[in-house]
Amino acid sequence: MPVRTAKQMKPTLKVTKSRTPNQSTSGVLRVNQSATNTRSVNSSVHRKSFTLAGDSKVLDKGSVQTHKQTVQVFDETGKDVTPQPLYQPEAGALQPKQSKIFTNHDTSGSTLSDFLSTAYQTTNASFAAPFTRSVFGSSSVSRSSQSTMESMNDEIEDPSSKKDISLSLSDVQVRREEIKEQIKEHMLDCMVDCYLTETETIWLLDMPALSVSMDSEEAEVVKSEGRNMAYQELCKNRLGNDKYMERPMQTFNGAPKAKEVQSDSISMVEKATMATHWDIYDSYVSDGGAGNAADGASPTKLDISTLHRVHSSRPLDRTMSGASAISTASTSSSRIDTEAFVVQGENESDPEDVLHSEKFLQDLLVMERAVLENIYQPKLAAYRQLPILPDPNREQKAGDERDGQDDVSLNPALERLWAFNCELTMGRNVSNMAWNKKNPDLLAVGYGQFDFKDQKSGLVCCWSLKNPTWPERIFHCESGVTALDFSTCSPSQLAVGMHDGSIAIYNVQSTEKTPVIDSSDCAHKHTGPVWQVRWVENEHGPGGEDKRETLISVSADGRISKWFLRKGLDVKERKIEDSNIYLVGTEDGLIHKCSCSYNEQFLGTYTAHIGPVYKITWSPLCPDVFLSCSADWTIQLWRQDLFTPILGFTSTHKAVHDIEWSPRWATVFGAVNEGRLEIWDLGSSILDPIIVSMARPGVKLTSLLFATQTDCVLVGDSGGQVSVYKLKNLNAGEGKEVNTLHDIIRSTLASQL
Amino acid sequence: MAEVEETLKRIQAHKGVIGTIVVNAEGIPIRTTLDSSTTVQYAGLLHQLTMKARSTVRDIDPQNDLTFLRIRSKKHEIMVAPDKEYLLIVIQNPSE
Repeated sequence: MPVRTAKQMKPTLKVTKSRTPNQSTSGVLRVNQSATNTRSVNSSVHRKSFTLAGDSKVLDKGSVQTHKQTVQVFDETGKDVTPQPLYQPEAGALQPKQSKIFTNHDTSGSTLSDFLSTAYQTTNASFAAPFTRSVFGSSSVSRSSQSTMESMNDEIEDPSSKKDISLSLSDVQVRREEIKEQIKEHMLDCMVDCYLTETETIWLLDMPALSVSMDSEEAEVVKSEGRNMAYQELCKNRLGNDKYMERPMQTFNGAPKAKEVQSDSISMVEKATMATHWDIYDSYVSDGGAGNAADGASPTKLDISTLHRVHSSRPLDRTMSGASAISTASTSSSRIDTEAFVVQGENESDPEDVLHSEKFLQDLLVMERAVLENIYQPKLAAYRQLPILPDPNREQKAGDERDGQDDVSLNPALERLWAFNCELTMGRNVSNMAWNKKNPDLLAVGYGQFDFKDQKSGLVCCWSLKNPTWPERIFHCESGVTALDFSTCSPSQLAVGMHDGSIAIYNVQSTEKTPVIDSSDCAHKHTGPVWQVRWVENEHGPGGEDKRETLISVSADGRISKWFLRKGLDVKERKIEDSNIYLVGTEDGLIHKCSCSYNEQFLGTYTAHIGPVYKITWSPLCPDVFLSCSADWTIQLWRQDLFTPILGFTSTHKAVHDIEWSPRWATVFGAVNEGRLEIWDLGSSILDPIIVSMARPGVKLTSLLFATQTDCVLVGDSGGQVSVYKLKNLNAGEGKEVNTLHDIIRSTLASQL
Repeated sequence: MAEVEETLKRIQAHKGVIGTIVVNAEGIPIRTTLDSSTTVQYAGLLHQLTMKARSTVRDIDPQNDLTFLRIRSKKHEIMVAPDKEYLLIVIQNPSE
């Protein structure tokens, strides 16, 4: 029989009397009889321990078979005061997980029940739990019937074992769900009729009013007889009555006693974790993009906050044995940490391995460039036409400053910036230079002798502007290099013509030292040195491919060949569709105009030179005008339709090796003869060059190249150096140079007639 | 391998370069042209700074990473090329 304390009697009975007990689902606020606790003092302890133990004991209790007997509770008078279920369960599916989560939160439930105990003067644990259920009841804890509740009470009556209501609930829930599942599978295909009816009214809470209105029928009853009258009588009688007297009383104060308790000191351990943005990202990515919330690569702020919570709640989660999503994330991240430690341990093998890695070499190259940039910064800035910033930490000497300012003159001048030079190229003759079409900072320089005697092996170096002290690529060739050109279609291909007549094509992107294609095995190869190679774009290639490039080479054996790139190089005759007109200079001094459509004949001949023609160059801005230079000390300016030169330029008695039009100004061109570099500006003077720069003593200048985007000029010499000069103060005018050139030509022609 | 050595030698020979240090991930110097105590000091300090710099860069954008670090001071410029396995340090006096 359950034990009840006296103080519980009254409230209990009162409640039951005023209510009509309903068999069905009336959720009346009934107070359960105190069932289990013989030791009511310990009930609070019970409660707490019971809820906490619920976590661990959830699974244990699953195996315990509880038999559900109907239990009825009677009070002294034999009345049936069996507690009614406080909350009628809905027959709905319930995720077992939620109940477990609720067991976690039972700590809060215990506080609620504390409050309830003070309010209702009950220490009944079983009361608390169902009430918590109703508070969190939106999760629809499913209960089967009153019998379940009674069975729960049965369990609760057992004082020795700590049981969990939620467990039995979950137990029941599981069974109910299983039953439901089976039914569902059968009936999936059938038509199911659902009848909806209105259920009986479910009372969840009924707090009857303590006051009645004056108009109602009960008013009379309440007023006349009953307690109201008695109370009023009592109030009247209270004044002089002996029964109601105020008397002070003194209570005994218990003697205080000090009691000492000693407990184990709580050991504190500091735990720190790094939660930087990138650390989270790293573990996220290495997890395989764990979680479906990660779209893209970077986690959103929401994910970061959840992961933060994971990190901080890791010690708590360890107590959970279930496999929820949160705990998997935490365990996996802890696994990653251990993995990282393992990896570090394995790398102790070889410290020298670092030097062999590819990345190290790349880093070295970058570092070298950075170091060089510091050294060459003013020069490079001048090249790029950027303002040169003075180093603020440099000690400025007063004399230097003044000198710098005085130097500004208005005459056109050349300023030497730097030279591409290294020990590999020392002593070699620069024969040819070419810019890369795609990367204007990349320069290819060919080294080879012009004369027949004194042949050394050739060398092609690709220099980058970022490193003037060491070339980026070095290709050794068998014989001296005499011609170079970069391709336009595939900008990494460099065609090299050599002194022995062979042509090779190198791919500058790879670091291989051998050419991609070599023509030395070809049957039709040249027998004399190749003086020039050029890539030409064709509009229509054979077979309908567009924009293929062909290579045209000129050699001293008197042949001009067009090469097509297949697996090897092969000479093809010219196609009829092409109508490129080109000029050929010969050793006799004649310049022939030929066309690709005619194989055998020249279209015309320009005669003026006495010595072999070294270079012919079309003007890039005026389509009809070209220049030629030769060993007879002259430079001739021609127009395409006239077979005599328009103008001739002579300055010194030296053979002119190289000329080139300036790409920016139509009236400016540069010439290199053996001793000096000359810049001519036809707009200012047609008799003399405007800038003359002497070569270093003992060295002959051999080649010339204009920089495409800045006004700098590169000069190669026989000592292996390629010097970079900047053109300053060249007042060649902007925009109207083409007209100027035409005017000059016209005026000259007019004066000749 | 020879190229690596050659490039290292070239870097050291450039104008103004005071020293070149290569340390591995544990802080053991593999190649250095400075004396031992200076090497260890530079390696330790720059390692910490590089970690901090990398952490900063990646905090701003986790897909980014630090590739090169240059510290310009009154007297020198220290250039660091960091990697997971090594640290390449070059000290140069650029205004010589």
